Amino acid sequence: MTVHDMKHAASDSARLEAVGGRLSRVDGPAKITGAAKYALEQQLEGLTHAVLVGATIAAGKVSAIDSRAAETAPGVLAVLTPDTIMELKGASDWLGNPSPQPTYNPLAREVTYSGQHIAAVVAETFEQAVAAAALVKVWYDETPAIVDLSDGKAGDGIPIDAMTKEWGDAEAAFAAAPVRICAAYNTPREFQAAMEPHGLIARWEGDALTIWEPSQWLDGMARTYAEWFGVPFENVRLVSPYIGGGFGSKALALAHSAVAAAAAKMLGRPVKLVLNRPQNFTSYGGRAATRQTVAIGADRDGRIQSIVHRGVNETAVDGMWVEPLGSVTSIMYATPNFSSKQNVVRVNTVVPGAKRAPGENPSAFGIECAIDELAHELGIDPLEMRLINYAEQDPHAKKAWSTRQLREAFAAGAEAFGWAKRSPQPRSMRDGRQLIGWGMAAGTYPVRRAHGEAVVKLLADGSVVVESSSIDMGQGTYTILAQTAAETLGVPVENVSVKLGDSHFARAGVTGGSRLAGVMTGAVYKAAGQALDELIGLALSDPRSPFQKLQANTLQVRDGRIASSRGEGPELSIAEFMAAVGREQIEAKGDTLPASTTAEERYANYTTIAKSIPHTEGDWSRHSWCAHFVEVRVDEDFGTVRVSRVVSALDSGRLYNPKLAESQWKGGIIMGIGQALLEEGIVDRRHGRIVNGNFADYMLPTNADIPDIQTISVGIPDPHSSALGGKGVGELAIVGIAPAIANAVFHATGKRVRDLPITLEKLI
Amino acid sequence: MTSQIHTGQTIIDPPEDGHFRNGAGSNGLAPSPTTLSLHLTINGRDHALEIEPRVTLLDALRDRLHLTGTKKGCDQGQCGACTVHVDGERVLACLTLAAQVEGREITTIEGLAGEDGTLNAVQAAFLEHDAFQCGYCTPGQIMSAVACIREGHAGSDEEIREYMAGNLCRCGAYPNIVAAVRQAAQELRS
Amino acid sequence: MRDFSYLRADSIEAARNAAALPGAMLLAGGTTLIDLAKCGVAEPSTVIDISHIEGLNAVDVTADRAVIGALARMSHVADNPQVRNLFPAVSEALWQAASAQLRNMATVGGNLMQRTRCPYFRDPANFPACNKRAPGSGCSAIGGVTRGHAVLGVSEACIATYPGDLAVALVAFDAEVDLGERKLKVEDFFLAPGATAEQEHDIRPGEVITAIEIPGSAAARRSTYLKVRDRQSYEFAAASAAVGLELESDGRTVRDIRVALGGVATKPWRVRAVEDALRGKALDEAIVREASELAMEGAVDHGANHYKIALAPRVIARAILKLGETA
Repeated sequence: MTVHDMKHAASDSARLEAVGGRLSRVDGPAKITGAAKYALEQQLEGLTHAVLVGATIAAGKVSAIDSRAAETAPGVLAVLTPDTIMELKGASDWLGNPSPQPTYNPLAREVTYSGQHIAAVVAETFEQAVAAAALVKVWYDETPAIVDLSDGKAGDGIPIDAMTKEWGDAEAAFAAAPVRICAAYNTPREFQAAMEPHGLIARWEGDALTIWEPSQWLDGMARTYAEWFGVPFENVRLVSPYIGGGFGSKALALAHSAVAAAAAKMLGRPVKLVLNRPQNFTSYGGRAATRQTVAIGADRDGRIQSIVHRGVNETAVDGMWVEPLGSVTSIMYATPNFSSKQNVVRVNTVVPGAKRAPGENPSAFGIECAIDELAHELGIDPLEMRLINYAEQDPHAKKAWSTRQLREAFAAGAEAFGWAKRSPQPRSMRDGRQLIGWGMAAGTYPVRRAHGEAVVKLLADGSVVVESSSIDMGQGTYTILAQTAAETLGVPVENVSVKLGDSHFARAGVTGGSRLAGVMTGAVYKAAGQALDELIGLALSDPRSPFQKLQANTLQVRDGRIASSRGEGPELSIAEFMAAVGREQIEAKGDTLPASTTAEERYANYTTIAKSIPHTEGDWSRHSWCAHFVEVRVDEDFGTVRVSRVVSALDSGRLYNPKLAESQWKGGIIMGIGQALLEEGIVDRRHGRIVNGNFADYMLPTNADIPDIQTISVGIPDPHSSALGGKGVGELAIVGIAPAIANAVFHATGKRVRDLPITLEKLI
Repeated sequence: MTSQIHTGQTIIDPPEDGHFRNGAGSNGLAPSPTTLSLHLTINGRDHALEIEPRVTLLDALRDRLHLTGTKKGCDQGQCGACTVHVDGERVLACLTLAAQVEGREITTIEGLAGEDGTLNAVQAAFLEHDAFQCGYCTPGQIMSAVACIREGHAGSDEEIREYMAGNLCRCGAYPNIVAAVRQAAQELRS
Repeated sequence: MRDFSYLRADSIEAARNAAALPGAMLLAGGTTLIDLAKCGVAEPSTVIDISHIEGLNAVDVTADRAVIGALARMSHVADNPQVRNLFPAVSEALWQAASAQLRNMATVGGNLMQRTRCPYFRDPANFPACNKRAPGSGCSAIGGVTRGHAVLGVSEACIATYPGDLAVALVAFDAEVDLGERKLKVEDFFLAPGATAEQEHDIRPGEVITAIEIPGSAAARRSTYLKVRDRQSYEFAAASAAVGLELESDGRTVRDIRVALGGVATKPWRVRAVEDALRGKALDEAIVREASELAMEGAVDHGANHYKIALAPRVIARAILKLGETA
């Protein structure tokens, strides 16, 4: 029985509320009135407040802690130290690998980075906890720290063989190429810097733990808590209705999370722990600092013969993070010979983590600057250079692209920007004392796929409820899932309420890698389809149904009303029909997993990332693509760089809601402007400590730094990438912005800055 | 009496010996806790509070009065998420002591819409222009924008950008914020 | 933040009496005091709220003189039409400082008491050594991250940059600070660190700033404040210049010129060497640039702040040339 027919049109002219329509955020009214309650705003009876004490050295041992003054300070309930905090069990990592250690102490005796949590003070009020935390005295036996990649003690690091990508004979072909460029490109430690700080409220009721915590991955984090405390997964409930920005940083339960949950257990009272802003720069990892060398050999007509790429990223002394630096290098351009290898170097830092487009972002900075350098060397327009070397298939996987609208992106972006009017010589465009530069770069991000499930309920009053433990941190999950359910069921979108951010809802994997929209629209589409099948099946077969006598083999639902598709017989609203058949609700759970999936596999699917589907699975290589065109103005005396214009053409496949997708693209571009010009975690090399861990000194772009930004969608539905034809949106647009700006700065000034950020002293 | 000191609402004479009647201010590591009885006028309503003098307006709003629309982003005057109005002017609640604004009119995001729920023109424009994503900086942005327009600093896009620069947005909604403020300013002028 | 008692003063006399108490600190806008209390730098036992004192926020401006009450808010002074007309550098220094919210809170009197943004000064838990906080403890900045630190007026005790903007304009135009019993030049009110980095201001226990007075002048009327920084807004200066210019009737020859620097010195930094070199000279780009270099006499860098030595003269020159163009 075919009961419905999804319209897969990619057109933006679809009705506002249908998939592809420019519906305003359904969670918008709550956010603009202050009614939206974020996780840390939960009000609980008897709530206590915890504040952390951080290590003031980067390496060594805690030799003594004197907490007596803190313990006797007003309002203090407990001072937790490595010796007094309860013992936790080791939890498995995000791939599901069991912990090598049977136990876990979130407060450190052995210090491996500055700011590492040493102690925590719990008090009746926030003010009391802050004041008492300042009274905790810690003594250390300090040992020399490896402060960063350039530290003499750092060494060459550990080769990561899994990152090696090679074909042809890259070294020989480079040596033989008539034109060669080779340069080193560095990116500093950068931070996600979400406006909402990290933190949590933890409450125990017997063996049941409820955690209110901003989270990009409820099920994964719930698993970690369950393992730490040795309670069943079902006993842990994570609640995260709104997330004030994550950008990769809020996917894991971290040491501070463990401290708060342990304190709540020990005290028998709910505990709130929020990292202060400086602690948000030291308690979890930002983007690792990276170094790359890119060598390109080419013919005189610009055809690339070889790319030799070497990369290094920093990681922690006691944790591993690999920032895949060859990810864009290996697929952006056609080359017969290629070699990419990567090392990681251990330094005394908190383990670096995911920040918007980990891997692709710094990778693109290397290759997209290098291509610009090659174009300049050859006197070829940078856009022409990219077309000459256009990869017609995935050069690494040797598979066809599922869709690659990059040529279209180049054309649309160049046209809108007016690229043809560019004067090729550096320093050839100016406005008074402002040197003007035009630069461009391409970007890409793989389509990461996974599985998700959703529950769709049709209620007696005709309204629809969608439930999922996935989350909305601003990407628009609430909105696009409402649109998907409304369109699939044939009900007005205002009748749909979407409930997210509770781990007791239907399960979802991590919100990261731009995968959630594709996964969850697919799950809701399936669940809503099942609910609709059941509704219509009931309407056709239930003896109490007014449609039963029609003897039709299908019905249609439109605007929330059920009728025969031939227009004969009765027409009832869903509410009227539910009353007629005496049903309270119709509920369907849909997921995108194969029916044969076992319960164990399902658990692993939602609580680890081990089950992610490779983007090159099967016959296709699946990626989003973009082309950025940027104008900068550089003051010739001061060296200050301002971005004055951005045009980006992007291929994210089909857009579920162009209004929200454009916002995410612009957000990525703006974060890229910050990366290019402002953002750098600056380490005091004597102390191994970030000294600018706050919003005055680690500078994010302000409104005044951002010009008008034009985004152009050049995507087409990609049936190989997701159920509804979309590819990734959120991470794509940051990839390629920094090199586009660096290339524009070169065009403006004739100076090639290969170390981000491009601050004024590098141009003065 | 030419010289007076207020403690909370109590007016007292400045004592000769440097000790004040409310008993606070010892120099030890554990000062004796002092509490003030305050009345704050927030969104037109009177709120009674018993709090320590060191409690900021931001923590009083969020932790004591459960008005959590005002956000804590940095707690050190560097992001603008906690922007509220005091006597109609935008200020940062994180660097304002609650005690300091007794006797002033405080407006938060919760008090911006009409009693009947009618959105302020700025709120409506933010929704229409998608001037936010995660929503965490949004109450501060909106409070700042309302004041920016009232101050007469929304005359051009360039001016809006400069006078909204004190409200950081990591999601990068800036161009949409400018569009929303521009539209709301036009509506409020006409 | 440690606990403190809160007292509200309703008169300047009450404020003076209370300010003399040990451990007492005055609270006006709060943008420095509450911030530093949160950092653990300021530890008042008593906070004297002076923000409710009436009659201290007037802004009286004539061609001869501007008198600005100590409790006038930075934003109000910046937007005052007469300040904008007669003292444009003062208005520009104010509106380019901080953010709209902070300018609504901060008072001009409090702004003169703003402390340095040196990251070592602001982080006592991690960097106990700081001669400003603990005299004789040493300077954590020297040998550390110095990109924002001063190159002028530095000592072995301290290289912290004076972060403000308003006072830079004030010293350019010979403004005075009124402390009630005495008045002194703003330039003298600020103290370079020398061996006593903890003493930043010439202010005595019990003294309270009541007003700022700026003499009117032709140079003040044609003046500007140019602030260069990494970010377009909401940031302290990498280098800034307050410049005032009066030309002879020929429209080219400098009769009077005032130059002061911000963002590069340990206090608001008047540069008379540049003024002397240009007074009586015709405005010419090469001459202006050469003269502006004189501002860096005695400059000492600590590595990462070396760029300021190149940058600051360019900021001065641009500001002078901009004023010259508007002749």
